[in-house]
Parts: sequence; C-alpha cells; structure tokens
Amino acid sequence: MNSYNLKTKISAGLIVMLLALLLPVESLTAQRMGHGASRGGGRSMSRPSGASHSRSARPSTSRTTNRATNNRASSSRSINGGHNKSTNRSTRPSSSNKSATNRSTNRSTNNQASSRDRSGTANKNTREVSRPSTGNTNKRTSDVRSNNGNRSRDNIGNNSGNRTKNVDRSKRNINIDNSTNINVRNNRNTYVRGSSRAYVRPPYRYGGFGYYCHRPYFYHPYRPFYYGPYYHPWGFFVATLATTAIIVSITSDSNDSSSEEEEYHYDNGTYYLKTPEGFVAVQAPVGAQVPDIPKEAEKVEVNETNNYYYAGAFYEENADGYIVVPATAGTIVPNLPEGGEEVKVGEQTFVKFGETYYQPIQVDGKDMYEIAEVKEES
Amino acid sequence: MIKKYLVILIFCSLPFLGISQPERNIDSTAVFILDKMADIIGELESVSFYLETTTDRQDDSKKIRSNYSVSHVTMNGPNNLVFQKTGNTGRIGFWYDGLYASYYSFDENNYVTLEAPDNTVEMIDEMNLRFGFQFPAADFFYPSFTDDILDSFDTLEFLGKTVIDGEECYYIRALNDKMNFQLWVSSSNWNLPKRFVILQKGEQTLRIESVFNKWELNPTIPSSVFEFLPPKSAKLIDILEKS
Repeated sequence: MNSYNLKTKISAGLIVMLLALLLPVESLTAQRMGHGASRGGGRSMSRPSGASHSRSARPSTSRTTNRATNNRASSSRSINGGHNKSTNRSTRPSSSNKSATNRSTNRSTNNQASSRDRSGTANKNTREVSRPSTGNTNKRTSDVRSNNGNRSRDNIGNNSGNRTKNVDRSKRNINIDNSTNINVRNNRNTYVRGSSRAYVRPPYRYGGFGYYCHRPYFYHPYRPFYYGPYYHPWGFFVATLATTAIIVSITSDSNDSSSEEEEYHYDNGTYYLKTPEGFVAVQAPVGAQVPDIPKEAEKVEVNETNNYYYAGAFYEENADGYIVVPATAGTIVPNLPEGGEEVKVGEQTFVKFGETYYQPIQVDGKDMYEIAEVKEES
Repeated sequence: MIKKYLVILIFCSLPFLGISQPERNIDSTAVFILDKMADIIGELESVSFYLETTTDRQDDSKKIRSNYSVSHVTMNGPNNLVFQKTGNTGRIGFWYDGLYASYYSFDENNYVTLEAPDNTVEMIDEMNLRFGFQFPAADFFYPSFTDDILDSFDTLEFLGKTVIDGEECYYIRALNDKMNFQLWVSSSNWNLPKRFVILQKGEQTLRIESVFNKWELNPTIPSSVFEFLPPKSAKLIDILEKS
C-alpha cells in the first residue's frame, strides 16, 4: 500500500514538473528585440538599459552582474563613458568562444559600471560629468503633455521651467494664471464627436493613439484669429461684465450636476464663468442656449449638416436661437481663436484646445484646420 | 524506483532545456572586431561625422517609400551632442548641452526644449523612449554595443573583407528571426563603422541603410556649439509624451 502511494506521488510530481517545464517555453524563446528595436536611434538594437533589463530573463543573467568596464584613462571625458564589456561571455550558450571573446576578462576595471546600470537605479554621479557652467537653469522649457489623462506633467528633472502660464485645459480642474490666482472649472466642451464619414486615409500614429483625419497634414503656424474687441480668450479675467451680458441656460446631456452650480454668462460670443473675484472667460459650454451669435460666425459643414462656428465654439440653430454643441471630428474650420497650444505629437504639430486636436491642413491653397479624431489603438 | 523516475525526469527535461536556449552561432572574429570598434569609440573624447541614410517606410497605401537624409553629428565629452538632419522629409536640428535638449524644426520654425539627463547616452535613451526622437547611428555609441548585439542576435558572422568607397572593411552580419543587420567596419587602424544595413522583416521587408563619412576624431569643439539659441521668430511649443 505504501509502495503504491509512493509511486502515485512520484508520478504526480513527474507530471507537475513536466508541465512546469512546458509552460515557460514560449517566454524563453520569445524575441528580446521587441521593444528595443525602435530605441536608441530608431534602429534595431537594444539600448543598454533595455538590454540589462531584459537580460534578467536570459539564462546568462549572471553576466550582467559581473560586467566589467574597459574604460581607460580618458573615460571621464569619453563620449559614452568608455566601452563596457561582459566579463564572462564564455557562459553564452553554444557561442564559439575563442581567445577574443575572453580577452576582456583580464582587463583592468573601474567602477564606472554602476553608471551604466540604468535599470532604474542609475547613479548619475558616478561618472565625472563636467556640467556646463553657464548657470542657465532658468531656460524656458516646453510643457510635457500625455494622453493618459495626466496632461500637465512636470518637465524632466527637478528644474521647472519659468513659463508664466501653465494652462491644462484638458483636465476638469484648470489652473489659469493670468496674474490672478483663480481656479476655474471648465469641463463642458472638451470632447469630440466622431465623424460620420469613414476615413480613407490611415491615421497618424503616435504613442498608442491614432489621429484620424480626412485630409493630409500641412503645417502652418498657429496664429490666433482676432475676433474683435468683444472676444476674450480663455482665462481672461474681468471684474465686471458689460450690460449686454446675459446669464445662459445650459441643457445638460449628462449626469454632470456641476453645471447647475456654475453660473455662465455670455456676451458677444464670449462665455464667462462667475467666480468669487469676478468673471473668467471660458470655452463655450456644451448645451448653452443663447438667443443670438455674432454675425461673424461662419457656416461649417459637420456630418453633412451645417453648424455655425465662432471662436472655437460650434452652434446648432434651433427654435430658441443657438445651442452650443461639441466639436465633431472631420470638421474643417478656417481659423482658431486664442487659447490653443501648439503641441508636437511625434513628427507632427497639432493645435490643441482641451481634448480637441486640430490638424493644420490646406484647402484650395488656404490654411485651415481639421478636427482630428483621436482613438486609442489596440 | 525513485532513481528510475529521476532518470526519466532528467531525460524528459533535456529537450525543453534545449528549446529555452535557442541555437546560437557566434563568430569570435566578429566579436573581436566589434569589441575593437567599440573600444575606439569608447576612447573618443569628441567626434564629428556625417551619416547618409536611406530609410524605407510604408506610405498610406502600404507601399514602400524611401526617405533620404544626411545628418551631421557632433559629440563632445559625456554630455554634449548636436546634429542636424536634412532630407526629403524636412530639416531638423537637435542640441544637447548637458542640461537641456532642444529639437528645432527648420521647416515649421518651432522648437521643443526639455530638461535632460546629464549624459549623452541617457539623454538619447530617455528622449527616444519618452518622445520618439531618433538619433543618427546612436546604437553605435552605446557603451555596451557588442553585448547588445550578442544579446539581440542569435547569429553573428564575420564574412570577410570587402571594399566600400575605396576603403577596405570587415564585413559582419548579425541575424535573428526579425532582423538582418549587416555592418562594414573599416580595417584601417581606426576600426570605425563605415556602413550598415538593417533589414526589418515583417509584412514587407523594410531596409535602412546608412553610410558614415568624414569622421573627425577628437576635434576641438567650442561648447557654444551645443547650446541652442532659437531664432527670434521661432516658437516654443508643447510636446506630447508617448504613453
């Protein structure tokens, strides 16, 4: 009986071990060039950090921990810190190692290897880096944005640029500093409706997102259109409004109850949000019903119907006047108001208002913009 | 009985252990040449070169379109880099002074300036990873170039000597199931890369070919070369990070 149990246990153990051997086969044979292929100059080879990171899955992991640097006397000024070599390449499977591959094991080493360990704990101070002595630590830098909802990231490192304005219009809470410290909530016109027409052109792809447009990219500088003295860009603060301003009613199409708490005013194409200190110009809130719009508003074709466009806002005409509707992808507009930001998206430059990306295009020789449809690629 | 099962287990395990380590064919001569080249690059304190590149891309109709560019690259010490690239897709410049990295589009007259890591290799890595910036022939300037090749390819061969533009070169080829990488390294005293070809296998095989020219080794370069001064009319713009 005992012998039977022992045999059964050993058989079960054998099966389990065989299964364990079978399961990781795929990962072990997986190519390690995958993500590294486009790094380090967009070519094909892995970068050092990628290499050391992925090595952990290799049979020859120990090699990375025993790296030796071959930096010579001049390594502190070397353009790349000196050539790093593995000390035990001989452990590689089936490599035809001859004297050359083991040559480096007897070389003198120094401690610069640690400066090459970029697996998350890079010690940048181990290399003698002569920093420029310009003292120019206040250089104006670009705002870094991301598509993951965390738009207003700080720049790389600890130094923050001295931009006087850091407006993140895509988030629900917008901090606009136009010499007043006012937190303005502006959440009602920051999404784009999809186009009803199928896209013939493939999207421009960047960072896991596709930017769909009907027309090709044609860069022209973003020069905000001047809509006259009545128009004020986002963030513009006024203590009081003109007597022509009206309180607008908003037809809510969502469960967002915030609009009920907010008091929007409208005056000649500009929308204001009431704050304790006064009024701040904001993007036209979707659902706002106004009796009239400026005569400068232009007709634009949206999904084979006509809308009116004025200063970044889209209107549909109805019995009570005009109602603000969301931007629709594929819509072509002749100009853009103040308040947009040019954003470099890979090799292209878009103008961004909230969640709306405007791609610069050219139509019959005229500079225009098309609203891009941004979709996350699977 | 237990011994019998253990023997069976070991025999059953052997084929799987074999699969986990793909068959490799590493030519030690090729490794030696790559090491020599990487040694020389690693000992450079400054360098300047031109790179002519032809890159295949799929256009909107998924047909191959070749883009051509010439880059002039200059590096100085561990934390200075500048290059300008001119080609049929436009002209751009990139400046890195150890503190800031700036990308300037001559065609669009706009630029991006970012705070950057304090050495060139990390800067290149970070800029490429976060924003997709591409740096001409950057792979060759990673300090563990040979090891990167050995990690990435299953086959590394020395295919003899050949002449490129009148210069005798060592011909090396590295292969894996996704890529064919061919490299010509000068056989002169300065074993510097002369030319490389990458064939990326996929739905269509895409070819990248680059030729190095006009190497200047350890030239004296004023630091001001690496500081970006935007033209007065140029506009600083934001940048979207890759997710």
